[in-house]
Amino acid sequence: MNRFNHLPTLKIDTAQKISFIHKGKKYYGAKGDTIATALFANGIRIFGRSLKYHRPRGLYSLDGESSNTMMEVDGIPNVRCENTALKEGMVIQEQNVKGSAENDMLGFLDKLDWLMPAGFYYNVMHKPAKLWPFAMKQIRKAAGLGKISPDFKMPGKYDEIFLNTDVCVIGGGPSGMMAALSAAKKGLRVILMESRPWLGGCFEYRSREYQNRLTLHERAHQLSKEVESLENIRVFTHASVVGTYNNNLVTGFQVGKQKDVFDERYIEIRAKSVVVATGCIERPLIFDNNERPGVMQTGCALRLAKTYGQLPGKKAVFSIGHDLGLEAALELHDLGLSIACIADIREDGQDPALLKKISEKNILFLKGWVAVKAHGRKLVKQVSLSSIDGLVKRKFTCDLLVASAGMTPVTGPITVAQGKLKYDTHTGFFLPDVMPEKMYAAGRIMGLEHPLSIETSGKLAGLKAAFDCGNCSIQEIGEAKKDLENLSGPVRGTKLVTAPVKGRKSFICFDEDATIKNIKQAIGKGFDVPELIKRFTATGLGPGQGGIPGHNLPLYVAKYQALPDISIKPTNVRPPLVPTFISTYAGAGHQMFKITPMDEMQRKDGGVFRNIGVWQRARYFSSDFSCQKEIENVRTNVGILDGSTLGKFRIYGPDAVKALQRVYVSDMSKIKEGRVKYSAMCTDDGCVIDDGVVVKQGENDFYFTTSTARAGQTVEWIRYHTRYDGWNFALVNLTDSMGVINLSGPNARKVLQKIVDMDISNEAFGFAEYKEFKIQDTVPVRAMRLGFMGELSYELHVPSSYMKSVWLMLKEAGKEFNIQNFGVEAQNVLRMEKCHIILGSESEQRTNLLDVGLGFLWDRKKADAKTVGAVALRQAENDQTRLKLVGFKMENNGRVPRDGSLIVDTKVRGYVCTARNSFSLKEAVGMALVEAPLAKTGTRLEIFEDECGDHRIYGKVVEMPFYDPEGKRMKM
Amino acid sequence: MALTITCPVCGKRNGYEFKFGGEEKGPRPEEKDLTPKAWCDYVHMNQCVAGVQKEWWFHKDGCGSWFTIYRDTTTNLEKEAGLANHQEADKS
Repeated sequence: MNRFNHLPTLKIDTAQKISFIHKGKKYYGAKGDTIATALFANGIRIFGRSLKYHRPRGLYSLDGESSNTMMEVDGIPNVRCENTALKEGMVIQEQNVKGSAENDMLGFLDKLDWLMPAGFYYNVMHKPAKLWPFAMKQIRKAAGLGKISPDFKMPGKYDEIFLNTDVCVIGGGPSGMMAALSAAKKGLRVILMESRPWLGGCFEYRSREYQNRLTLHERAHQLSKEVESLENIRVFTHASVVGTYNNNLVTGFQVGKQKDVFDERYIEIRAKSVVVATGCIERPLIFDNNERPGVMQTGCALRLAKTYGQLPGKKAVFSIGHDLGLEAALELHDLGLSIACIADIREDGQDPALLKKISEKNILFLKGWVAVKAHGRKLVKQVSLSSIDGLVKRKFTCDLLVASAGMTPVTGPITVAQGKLKYDTHTGFFLPDVMPEKMYAAGRIMGLEHPLSIETSGKLAGLKAAFDCGNCSIQEIGEAKKDLENLSGPVRGTKLVTAPVKGRKSFICFDEDATIKNIKQAIGKGFDVPELIKRFTATGLGPGQGGIPGHNLPLYVAKYQALPDISIKPTNVRPPLVPTFISTYAGAGHQMFKITPMDEMQRKDGGVFRNIGVWQRARYFSSDFSCQKEIENVRTNVGILDGSTLGKFRIYGPDAVKALQRVYVSDMSKIKEGRVKYSAMCTDDGCVIDDGVVVKQGENDFYFTTSTARAGQTVEWIRYHTRYDGWNFALVNLTDSMGVINLSGPNARKVLQKIVDMDISNEAFGFAEYKEFKIQDTVPVRAMRLGFMGELSYELHVPSSYMKSVWLMLKEAGKEFNIQNFGVEAQNVLRMEKCHIILGSESEQRTNLLDVGLGFLWDRKKADAKTVGAVALRQAENDQTRLKLVGFKMENNGRVPRDGSLIVDTKVRGYVCTARNSFSLKEAVGMALVEAPLAKTGTRLEIFEDECGDHRIYGKVVEMPFYDPEGKRMKM
Repeated sequence: MALTITCPVCGKRNGYEFKFGGEEKGPRPEEKDLTPKAWCDYVHMNQCVAGVQKEWWFHKDGCGSWFTIYRDTTTNLEKEAGLANHQEADKS
């Protein structure tokens, strides 16, 4: 096809060709084309097939308001081809076709529409009940849009930005630009969002005179230059708004240009004030076969020519209800489109200047006429027109039917922000009645059509927004208001919804294949309000988000039921206002984990890392995930573990002890200097959430640890439970500034002794003791002797910056003993053999302190009401229905059950917490939470594993701990 | 999140930065004459006001303080303390 290359309004460059593949065949588009316009330029008219009836569908609106032109692009289904720029090498496929869009083997479904009334799947396929699974499969196979496989990985780069601004203007047309300019000239920061790739809105593609021989197109250019010249206006083009919320939060997404670092990015804007200048789309005209390829809206036909340089057809019939339709017909006529007839719904009220031109050009013009049927099996071949009353009919041969009932304002951003709309009989629009706080509407959305009115309303809205920011006077707003009142006001709109047709093939919603007949059926079944009809017939529930039927549905429902205008209410609109990829919401940076100071060194030593909470930790140090060597090394020699993820805190001040008393169950007033105090924290329900140790560093100065998982919430927790008390203490999270090295094994002392000067013999530094010392007079170390793994063990708390040095010193000192790394899994087995619990493994949300056998930590003399959890523990004490933590062995040296397996008899009695093959004991052991009657030593446990069928494995409750019951080894 | 919250230390910030801490119910009850039911009510029972309520928030990604605000639960908008008090007074 020869494309125009001389029009000033063109956004394509025909000299630069872009190749793409459609259905395996190579085609060329021009630079600046969308996928849809490139396909159209190559003569492709049928883009895909419809959801239910497999009707051929093609180009209709150019702004992506329906699923007609959704296609699979580079493997991504449901891409809106009208809004997606063509890129070199794109591979494009049709959707929902069996065969091809041209010859769809399921096309016969269109003739079977009588079998599929509104809601047929709710009431036809259910009897007998056995039929449904089969019917469901068949329906799903035949219906739908794009296909996606479960392991589909979304390609592309996604990003997100969060912005603050004074004024956010939604819509970059003339009124939006004027609003942005007037607010910016008041010294405010402005963000302007425009969904098309360029500014200009409805001025951009029109050649009509604006003023003083300036065309609308030139005016758009003038305004956008001015907008771009102001540094305090930030413009986002190709950026759709998907939601507006209270407190003036605006969310949207921007499509990246070729050179951008993102393909799409999520935008979230917090504005002091918002201007909605989203303009209008066209209200579809409903008649028989109103979505046949070859039928398109006025703006679509005009923009195809003016923006994309191609005539929308050879011979056209226009059926319109608006001056813009006449204007488009004249412009297209001048560009070489032959026009058989223009039918105008309106009997009168047309712009006389336009009428004069039409008669000058000898175009047949019918007032009070409308299209009733598009003929042609796949493409439009003929059109039947009729007088509005349906009495007289005429047929025209054509390949293009430009059809539009009128305009409809894009009010989504107002309604999702809880603004209220009201039906206006003059314009036929739902006009803003109650605007959300600090949000203003401007431009065509108010029913304005005159270019000056549009601009002035934009200026007024911009000034109102500036007023909200304290940068504009009431007088100025008053002047702008007066200016607007002196210009022409809202234009009278047509009320016609459907041509005089029965409506079996007249589609009100393209996405869901809903016809006028379906609406009548729904009303017949008693669904009498649009909100219910919308759900029963699925009208407006498709990916177009109600763009096509949004205005027509309530109008038609009111008309069909002969309701007064006052009762016409729009259906609810919800975000997202335009279809958005989930990957765009997800944004970038999904792999965000904290690493410890020892990360790099452990990786070099062969550490196998896993994501554990917010951290990445070395879980194994070999491919043997049973960790036999790591475990045996700790039991018989010495191992080194990076425990830096442990929560570490300092609390100090006159009331520090009071705060500790509040959240810990033990008596924290008795912490002895030089001793390690082990305790736990509970919720107010007595459920245990954390355990750790507390040491005294000085007067009213304590250092304490929490589990890795609780580190993030501990400050919040302590401050929450002391929030009424006004106590004087300071709390610091040292988790990231301190590292922890755990040195464990019978040889641990020999290794440590080599790098410290002081005496660390068992007499000088005994079990459960705490020491502060310096290594080489430099590195301050807080050392604790703990026994989590059941061996002689030192926990060294070292400033993060010194961690590597101390680690290397210990590795060097341990060389002669062949010191080895061990990871989190080895630690897990070692502590399990000692029956030391890890909260979260041996507990869940409902497990209390007593259930896991830590009742001895609770100081019963403390005031219950003043200790978090104590009241509930007192009540739970005599409760026999609770689960108890027990140790178990597998019968007959049986294999180990999986963590989380169920303990059952005739019903579920508990579950396995942690179970492993113990190399120290040479059998499988574990811990389980079971109902009290099963907790007695010697009880047989029946264990049910996932998908094991009738097969069970058995264990027996045994005494805890399994390893070194007297605890001699950790006290060595 | 459309909600904004005014932290007494950091000022008006995005709701993302905060964590909800429940309705304002007053300090922990005294030990004396405390019944299990009274305790349970204190911990678990809520007023669930449809309107302005006083509630606790924690500035998680900020200064780390707990404070109360007044919020209209029907609009999810923060209210000025004075206004909220006025409305509470109107009701009683």
